[in-house]
Amino acid sequence: MDELIEVRDLYKSFGNHKVLKGLNIKVSKGEVIAVIGPSGCGKSTFLRSLNLLERPTSGKIFFEGTDITDESVDINKVREKMGMVFQQFNLFPNMTVRENIMLAPVKCGKMKAEEAAVKAEELLARIGLLDKAGAYPSQLSGGQKQRIAIIRALAMNPDVMLFDEPTSALDPEMVGEVLELMRELAAEGMTMIVVTHEMGFAREVASRILFVNDGGIQEDNDPKELFANPKTPRLKEFLAKVL
Amino acid sequence: MKKKRIVSYIAAVILLAAVIAGYSYYKGQTEKRQLEEAKKNEITGVEDLPGRKIGVQMGTTGDTYAKDYEGDESGTSVERFNKGTDAVQALKVGKIDCVIIDILTAEAFVEKNKELKILEEEFTNEDYAICVDKSNTELKEKINGALQELREDGTLQQISDYYTGAEEVKGKNPYRMMQDVKRDNGTLSMATNAEFPPYEYFDKGEIVGADVDMMQAVCDRLGMTLEIQNMEFDAIITAVESGKADVGAAGMTVTEDRLKSIDFTDSYTNSKQVIIVKDFALSAKKQSLRESLYDNFIKDNRYEYLLKGFGNTLLITLFAVLIGILLGLLIALVRTGYDRNGSMPVLNLLCRIYLTVVRGTPAVVQLLIIYYVILTSVHNKILVAVIAFGLNSAAYVAEVIRSGIMSVDIGQFEAGRSLGLNYHQTMVSIIIPQAVKNILPALCNEFIVLLKETSISGYIGLMDLTKGGDIIRSITYEAYVPLYAVALIYLVTVMLLSAGVNCLEKRLRKSER
Ligand SMILES: Nc1ncnc2c1ncn2[C@@H]1O[C@H](COP(=O)(O)OP(=O)(O)OP(=O)(O)O)[C@@H](O)[C@H]1O
Ligand SMILES: [Mg+2]
Repeated sequence: MDELIEVRDLYKSFGNHKVLKGLNIKVSKGEVIAVIGPSGCGKSTFLRSLNLLERPTSGKIFFEGTDITDESVDINKVREKMGMVFQQFNLFPNMTVRENIMLAPVKCGKMKAEEAAVKAEELLARIGLLDKAGAYPSQLSGGQKQRIAIIRALAMNPDVMLFDEPTSALDPEMVGEVLELMRELAAEGMTMIVVTHEMGFAREVASRILFVNDGGIQEDNDPKELFANPKTPRLKEFLAKVL
Repeated sequence: MKKKRIVSYIAAVILLAAVIAGYSYYKGQTEKRQLEEAKKNEITGVEDLPGRKIGVQMGTTGDTYAKDYEGDESGTSVERFNKGTDAVQALKVGKIDCVIIDILTAEAFVEKNKELKILEEEFTNEDYAICVDKSNTELKEKINGALQELREDGTLQQISDYYTGAEEVKGKNPYRMMQDVKRDNGTLSMATNAEFPPYEYFDKGEIVGADVDMMQAVCDRLGMTLEIQNMEFDAIITAVESGKADVGAAGMTVTEDRLKSIDFTDSYTNSKQVIIVKDFALSAKKQSLRESLYDNFIKDNRYEYLLKGFGNTLLITLFAVLIGILLGLLIALVRTGYDRNGSMPVLNLLCRIYLTVVRGTPAVVQLLIIYYVILTSVHNKILVAVIAFGLNSAAYVAEVIRSGIMSVDIGQFEAGRSLGLNYHQTMVSIIIPQAVKNILPALCNEFIVLLKETSISGYIGLMDLTKGGDIIRSITYEAYVPLYAVALIYLVTVMLLSAGVNCLEKRLRKSER
């Protein structure tokens, strides 16, 4: 399998607080990776380090063969290929749904305005929200917002999608539609790294699960093994709590 | 909704009118009481001065002499006014007991204010001269030469006759600027304070007077073009010293103190300082409102002072706002860029120093520093004011914008960056539009404050709305009507602006729903 991401010895501290203490991981194309772990263990910090929303204190991150922590790398070009979806959706409230989707492709020079508009409509049609193209985010439900946030990232044709607890801010009845869209993406072969508390989703959809604890990845296994045979007491404890 | 708003505006205006009317009545009553009070302590000569409140125009000879009385054991106090007119007004309403001022000026005041009189005993006798910078002896010699000629051919006499002579020569034979002179020796810029009739004062929008004619005559001799700059009296010497003006001519007496910083030509005329007091024998006849309105606005097209001043006020505000927004935005971007990414630390430090200095000093002082110290070679006062107020407002706008940017959820910023937009694009397309919406009310308030702040433009002799009203005041010796008119114009402008802002805000809010 082609290697897409490699993280080597990633350290990250906030002041004196050491969050990540030498984290290593390799991700190949097409993998769907679920990241689990207790609250505050550094899952978000790890995910946000991958596209340098958090600058690592030390360590290297290779994406498609280049070390993106190198100062000479244009991080904006790298980010174009790494879509990110946030817990709080972060749609731009002053723009319509269409403008939200078109903004990045046009501003980054990937597409002309007309192309981007066509792409936006395609993506909206795909999730059945074409009629919302002219609406503002405040007129949408949480589930609709998050699905639009996902296709907004997809509009850049990324090579990998990073999700940080994409369903945690949703009312329970809207979780399904978002997971469904993510499941589709996985089925199409999109490489995905998903920080989640949805153990059902992790078990069903992920090809691999990472258990983050104590500043590193404590267990890294396929879902069946990980759930059936947790090796460390910490993971046992954690699973006992969430399952 | 709309109707309610209009009704409440009308109610506000009526209320205001009622307050003014009530106040005027109250004022009339107190004036009467003060008059009786003052009558008891009438001043009849120099020996009555100790223990009284003496009014003078700041920096004039009267000021210098009155200083000798100040703080003596009898408790004499000296009140210094920017203008002779202000002193006279204060005398009229009984705030002070007398005014010490140049005799010709005093005569002009008393002529228009029947309730005042000049005491026969004069206070001092003095010579007037033109001030020049100490290093400029060449100019001084040239002017002395010209004055000598003017004295010999009777021109100086002609000028003084015209303005201050006896009944049969006064106002008869004005000095006329020579037309057939070659003026290829450059311009001679004269600093003056046009509040000092008959030496220099405003008439139909122009600065005229005995000093102006005298300087014109000097320029005619020297083949130069006269240029007049109006400013506060106590700014004249500084202006000449700093090269803003070549000479100062404003009924100035040679004094020890002045000689420390400036040089004087030979004297061109002499004058006496006298004491003005209230003439209790004549009870003042009050002008009706109609007469007063006519006098202050219609006569000699005096409303044009307000109109032109208001135009300048708007002009200065408008361009200062533009500078304020642009520079303020830049500063805000540098500051937030540093806060978020630690970028450009040096520039950030400079911005912080700038903000501290500008917000820690009064705008008047900044304006004076920019005019007299920094932009000494710029003679366009509007430009100076625009720059000064622009720089001032930028500091406030910067902090408003910064708080606006900080108030936008950090998630918006991260979403933009994670999509591949660079810092600049994220700020411009995502953050700033949202920030602007958040801070629009605060920003507009800032500009309303700025509009009012420009009323200090008069300090550099620029005729803005306030100064326009002041000029009318100095012509008509009336405080009420011009001041209320100026206040009303500001008020209406601010109300209109606020209404406009409300509309805009509503429109913006709509676009989100
Ligand atoms: N910008 C920051 N400044 C200081 N401390 C931070 C910052 N971001 C995260 N932390 C701290 O780092 C630790 C890890 O945070 P992180 O958000 O990565 O945890 P998490 O595993 O995603 O937790 P959760 O499940 O609650 O989202 C926490 O203790 C958090 O308080
Ligand atoms: Mg998290």
